[in-house]
Amino acid sequence: MNYKSLFSLLVVCAMCFTTLAQTDYRNEQQVNAALNSIASKGGAKATLTSLTKTNGGKDIWMLTLSDGSPESHPGIAIMGGVQGDHLLGTELALNMAESIVTNHPEVLKKTTFYIFPNLSPDATAQYFATTKFARQGNATQTDDDRDGKLDEDAFEDLNRDGLITMMRVEDPTGDYRLLEEDNRILVKADPNKGERGTYKIYTEGLDNDKDGVFNEDGLGGVYFNKNFTFNFPYFTKGSGEHPISQVEHRALLDFLYTQWNLYAILTFSDANNLSTPLKYNKGGASKRVVTSILKNDEAINKMLSEAYNKLVPKENAPNGAAQGGSAFEWSYFHFGRLAMSTPGWWPKKFEGDSVNKAPKNEKANFLAYAEAEGIQNAFIPWQEVQHPDFPNHKVEVGGMHPFVMKNPPYAMVDSISKKHTDFILKVAEMQPELQLVNLQQESVGNNLTRITVDLHNNGLLPTHTEMGDKSRWLRKINVYLKTSGKQQLISGKSRQVIEKLDGDGTLTMSWLIQGSGSVTLEATVPQAGTATKTINL
Amino acid sequence: MKKYILTIACVLMVSAFAKAQSAQDIFQAVGTPSNPKVKISFNQYYTSEGLAALGKKITDAHPNLVKRMSIGKSTQGRDIWMLAITDYSTGDADRKPGFYLDGNIHSNEIQGGEISTYTAWYLTESFGKVPYITEMLKDRVFYIVATINPDARNNYMKEANTRNTPRAGMIPLDDDSDGLFDEDGFDDLDGDGSITQMRRKSTTGDFILDPRDPRKMIRISPDDVVTGQRYEMLGGEGIDNDNDGRINEDIPGYYDPNRDWGWKWQPDYVQRGAYKYPFSAPETRAVADFVKKHPNIAGAQSFHNSGGMILRGPGAEEDLATYNRADIAIYDAIGKKGEELLPGYNYLTVYKDLYSVFGGELDWFYGGRGIYTFTNEIFTGFAYYKNKDGGFDQIYAADKDLLLGDGFTPYKEYNHPTYGLVEIGGFKKNTGRATPGFMLEEEAHRNMVFVFYHAFHMPHLSIGDVSVKSLPNGLKEVTATIVNDRLMPTHASQDLKYNIERPDYISLSGAKVLAGMIVQDADFNVTTEQKNTPETIRVANIPGNSTVMVRWIVKGGNNLTIKVDSAKGGVVEQRVK
Repeated sequence: MNYKSLFSLLVVCAMCFTTLAQTDYRNEQQVNAALNSIASKGGAKATLTSLTKTNGGKDIWMLTLSDGSPESHPGIAIMGGVQGDHLLGTELALNMAESIVTNHPEVLKKTTFYIFPNLSPDATAQYFATTKFARQGNATQTDDDRDGKLDEDAFEDLNRDGLITMMRVEDPTGDYRLLEEDNRILVKADPNKGERGTYKIYTEGLDNDKDGVFNEDGLGGVYFNKNFTFNFPYFTKGSGEHPISQVEHRALLDFLYTQWNLYAILTFSDANNLSTPLKYNKGGASKRVVTSILKNDEAINKMLSEAYNKLVPKENAPNGAAQGGSAFEWSYFHFGRLAMSTPGWWPKKFEGDSVNKAPKNEKANFLAYAEAEGIQNAFIPWQEVQHPDFPNHKVEVGGMHPFVMKNPPYAMVDSISKKHTDFILKVAEMQPELQLVNLQQESVGNNLTRITVDLHNNGLLPTHTEMGDKSRWLRKINVYLKTSGKQQLISGKSRQVIEKLDGDGTLTMSWLIQGSGSVTLEATVPQAGTATKTINL
Repeated sequence: MKKYILTIACVLMVSAFAKAQSAQDIFQAVGTPSNPKVKISFNQYYTSEGLAALGKKITDAHPNLVKRMSIGKSTQGRDIWMLAITDYSTGDADRKPGFYLDGNIHSNEIQGGEISTYTAWYLTESFGKVPYITEMLKDRVFYIVATINPDARNNYMKEANTRNTPRAGMIPLDDDSDGLFDEDGFDDLDGDGSITQMRRKSTTGDFILDPRDPRKMIRISPDDVVTGQRYEMLGGEGIDNDNDGRINEDIPGYYDPNRDWGWKWQPDYVQRGAYKYPFSAPETRAVADFVKKHPNIAGAQSFHNSGGMILRGPGAEEDLATYNRADIAIYDAIGKKGEELLPGYNYLTVYKDLYSVFGGELDWFYGGRGIYTFTNEIFTGFAYYKNKDGGFDQIYAADKDLLLGDGFTPYKEYNHPTYGLVEIGGFKKNTGRATPGFMLEEEAHRNMVFVFYHAFHMPHLSIGDVSVKSLPNGLKEVTATIVNDRLMPTHASQDLKYNIERPDYISLSGAKVLAGMIVQDADFNVTTEQKNTPETIRVANIPGNSTVMVRWIVKGGNNLTIKVDSAKGGVVEQRVK
């Protein structure tokens, strides 16, 4: 095939993508095509940049949306693909970008969006591979079981269904039993309740390195969402040897730490402080190493959560506490920004009726819900296989589909995306905005003028979170009174630093100036913009 | 003609030089390499380029003992030079137990550069002459980085600074939150190369001159009846470069490279000086990358100044649980020896005896890599009179008696743009923290022998008793004792807790191995069998001053070889006789 015909084939393929309705999550090529398409639709308002390439050779893309210079507006970052098996996050980030560019370009006049659609591209590729499994690790080779060998005990697809699920092994010494309300599911037997275990369970595969543990060191290195600095889980699978050890983490942070205009970060991950706000804990908040949201930030989180719940009903939302080393915890505790995280979607609870009782077990309840919703393949039926490691036992492979509890049927993605776009637009409406209002000019006589002005935050959000106020990585508000040669400042400073302004907060300031002509007042902080006034004395 | 004169002059100089250095004119001072191949004056300090040149000379003079490599580039693009020193004629260098040492992480704490260089020089010049060193280089490797902060070392030496600045590296930061970076640094107004103090005569000032020593300022107490001239102190030498009403408020930095390491790191609002994330400064990242690639490193040392301290972790009380009793016993043994070798120094624990440090170098080496690590704070006032530290006033006496006034710039009048007529003077930047030249070589030597004691006690493995017993059916039982005759185990207890480093492998080759086991008690035959790969027995640890016994059941084979392969303990191999 020559290049020309290859090219026409590509064009035809590209047309296929655009004309046919998408029915499944988009793979790397489709995500890249979507990003290019958004960037071209956005024109001057959209810039697509690759921050770096992962060890797997995949780009970490950033889409910057802004009308005017990005640094000139307060900014919001949106992070998708934070957990490699959470395909929804990437879709939400892409669709929000698309919707902002197409339907809400006016917001870009005052807010800049930094959109990172997929921060785990090495891991998400596993969903599109011949053997799919819920992967979070990147392509860095790691010694997960710390035995001196790399990636020596991976999964095997024993039932050849293209999915890595579970194995159950009939064994009187096993600790697991079948669940009464749904006997596809195994639960731990409690001998104190008179229960006996008859199964052992493992992940699907062989014990390749014969160390008695199954699939403990396979493909997949460092988890994006387990390599951040807050409460780092040292020496656990997927954490990496130390925080921020991976090229994608460094590239992301090196970028974000220079974006002084960034005031909020929305992370799509298991952590959820939008359905239920984080709770202040005095003990955790008053220690040197802070582990609780601070008091003022609790109130802001509550306000944001109320806005979110109006769009995305709270019902059955998972608890979603972060697990240490996560992007969300970092974005608040160590980066001091307004931090938001949500999985974006969770299955509704199956309430049952007089005929079908609602199962109490989470997985069983999900399977009932999936059946009612018509979700296919939520459970892979147990199927007997011959297993060399268990020669005299009945071994079956099956279990929950590895992706189905975190990622909704694709048909739902559009409406979920719309709700989250609406939410982020609400956040943008609340963003801090410096204004200089109630300007007064009084003549005090003898060529002396007193200027009084209210420095006002027109936004509902503060210029600094309480946590951010402690951080050197959020700049303080600088207020300048710029005089010219003919004028002399008698009282008041030519530059002063204001710690912060609360949402709708105000600070009155005054200066005494001798002389005539014009002077300029400027109040500026990157995350809340710049306000200026010129005064003729 | 001029050219000839020059040539003749050169020849004369060279011959005079050569004559002065000829071996027959020298009588060896004991403990110091006599007539060394590389001649270095250890009564002065060297810039980063100076240290790099000395490292190169040492390497060129001893190619069989030194390999020199750059482990990375600094912020301003300088190489971070490392000398890997061992006897390259025996063994695989990077498989020998390794000792890492560096200096100068804090820019103004310069002695580490010279101490590290002295150590490299001493090792190479003494090899083949001092049996202790010859042995040490046979089975250990030293990774020596004289300065891991070459940019700011030069800044300290070449630019106007106090003895305390810069502590940071050279990445510009906005200290006063005005959006400008490093825009209001010091200004050497009197041109003496140091930032000293500014004082101004004032009728309401809080200070007077000490009538017995005009270099000293005395603070006035509320009940004093002052008859002399009062002064007010105006801080370090400088002007308001950015016209913001403040002086010297945004000097180069500020971040602290010793708050940039990946163990229990905390951000700036918890730990002042932290930069963006662990290893966010290129210099510390270069070291971390090197250490991660060298699991043979078992001991480490970093040099700071001052105060005369031998410090171990933890840096923060929150990390107390990381340091457990077994490892503290090893730290104590080495640290207390250090107190003997370094008179005036005290063996201390950072979090309780100094101050709190999150993200320090020694904590990452130990907590993150399981490497026993000390930080020495070089130089103490004790050194001036070999007597207990006499407090701050002692430096005035020492400057007069021992330094003959070389350490102090007398106050002189200066017309300051903001303050008007002021007087500028005070101790120079090389006084107070940096060891005076005449004591530097001694301090280098004593710190070096402390390093050697530490390095000597890294694990040292050998294959001890091996017995072969015949069993029925033509089988043989081979039992071997593996000996570690030094203080340190192959795995620190921190390492064992998290399996930081892989187990040690003890393997038998030359026969078909049917079974392999660890022998817990030879007398009562208590063993633990290893079912898989019995020919390579994995042991979690070979403790210090202790042994591990392993046993194999084999069939056939007359040429048996036992091999011990330990990441931190090295590789030893022995034929079974």
